[in-house]
Amino acid sequence: MARPHIEPFVELTEGYKAFKIPGFIGADYKVLSLDTDNGACSLKVRMRGGFKRPPGLSYSDLEIFVLTGTMKVGDQNCQEGHYIFLPAGVALEAIDVPSGCELIMMYNDSEPSFEESDSNHDLALKEGFVSVNSYEDMPWAGGSIVSPSVATGLFLKLLRFDPLTEAMTFLYSMSPQYLQDNISYHDCAEESYHIWGASHMMQFGELPTGGYFWRPPYINHGSFRSKLGCIALGRTDSKLHNYFHFNPWSNPDENKSRAAAMLYRQRPQLYKWVHMEDGHNHPHGQVGQLEAPKPPADFEHPGYKDHPQTKMLADQTYTFHELDHLHKDEIAAAHKFAHENGIAHGHDHESGDHTHDDDEY
Amino acid sequence: MTKHVQDDKPPMTKEARAWMEEEAVAQEARYKDIVEEIDGIEEQRAEWIEEFLSLIQTRGFHVTGDMTRKVAKEEIPEKPNRPDAMRVIW
Repeated sequence: MARPHIEPFVELTEGYKAFKIPGFIGADYKVLSLDTDNGACSLKVRMRGGFKRPPGLSYSDLEIFVLTGTMKVGDQNCQEGHYIFLPAGVALEAIDVPSGCELIMMYNDSEPSFEESDSNHDLALKEGFVSVNSYEDMPWAGGSIVSPSVATGLFLKLLRFDPLTEAMTFLYSMSPQYLQDNISYHDCAEESYHIWGASHMMQFGELPTGGYFWRPPYINHGSFRSKLGCIALGRTDSKLHNYFHFNPWSNPDENKSRAAAMLYRQRPQLYKWVHMEDGHNHPHGQVGQLEAPKPPADFEHPGYKDHPQTKMLADQTYTFHELDHLHKDEIAAAHKFAHENGIAHGHDHESGDHTHDDDEY
Repeated sequence: MTKHVQDDKPPMTKEARAWMEEEAVAQEARYKDIVEEIDGIEEQRAEWIEEFLSLIQTRGFHVTGDMTRKVAKEEIPEKPNRPDAMRVIW
């Protein structure tokens, strides 16, 4: 299996273990979560005073957040709040930790690895490199960058955004007396480490300083509270959409079906296109459409498929796709027609270098 | 197909393999501890649910942002009759 649901886990009560993997000797770690298939993991790491490492790279995307102390990277002092996104294959300058530091390290693709190198791998996506002090170099933004939105009082600093998957890493903060009375779930896996302070969720109770979770997709969480506020490092593995509801007993399958129902209602043409199961994802027929697929179940709105607006959208037909391309039988017919009528058609009859297979036009 | 650095990854070292095996066992134990802990507060969780269902009828349910609506009593879902109704760790 990939990473299991780890929530809540308070690492402060756990002891550090000494690393035995080359490149990490002299550092200690606690595993927060581990993908047992590929070794991708999130760790709390303590680099003891005097830790040094030459320049080098790993074969996994790596995220580093400095919790305490200072880690010197090349000439730069990375202090509390410093965040680094190191794409796989990008060489990080030499590390020097004179007095010790504690980090969160997230290896997103595979197990922790280190290869000494002072140059990037040829295929490294070096433009993805991020290095920023999240405490000092950027302001807090409202949480409404994601919609449907969290309630006012939750603030964000977006540290990294992947344009392909919309995965993101961010700091978030709940103000004292924060509350949000709904239950949420997402299509993405989500993880969080509480740097300071506590928050409360109805399913899992209080998550204090040092609290962590790795939550797979479609799992209910919330309502939300924070009595005195908190600050945390958060990460998603793909796009975060807030599916809010108030059914405390729905399970991940029901939540997923409800999410699909929302896609059916809100983006019906895309839903139909994706839903075709014969490996041929586009509509055909006189009106350019297949019949609408069966609407997924939605525990919140069980009768939604009969709603006039939903019905209209689901029944909507478009003909723009009809002449996009020719199919095999259509190609053969077009070819025959071209021959019979002396129309030039994509190959030179003088050269004799062609066949008249059905699928050649 | 575009090749990526990850495609060039050397085989896992024996130290890393041993580390993963050790930590997979530890994580399995951690998961069981979490399930036990959460199961142990089921009564408390039931109270939190009751409070939540009451609040969304009186103060309101957060639809998006600060937009709220009061949920009518007849909209409140009933606890399903299935063994995993109170399950929250999946």
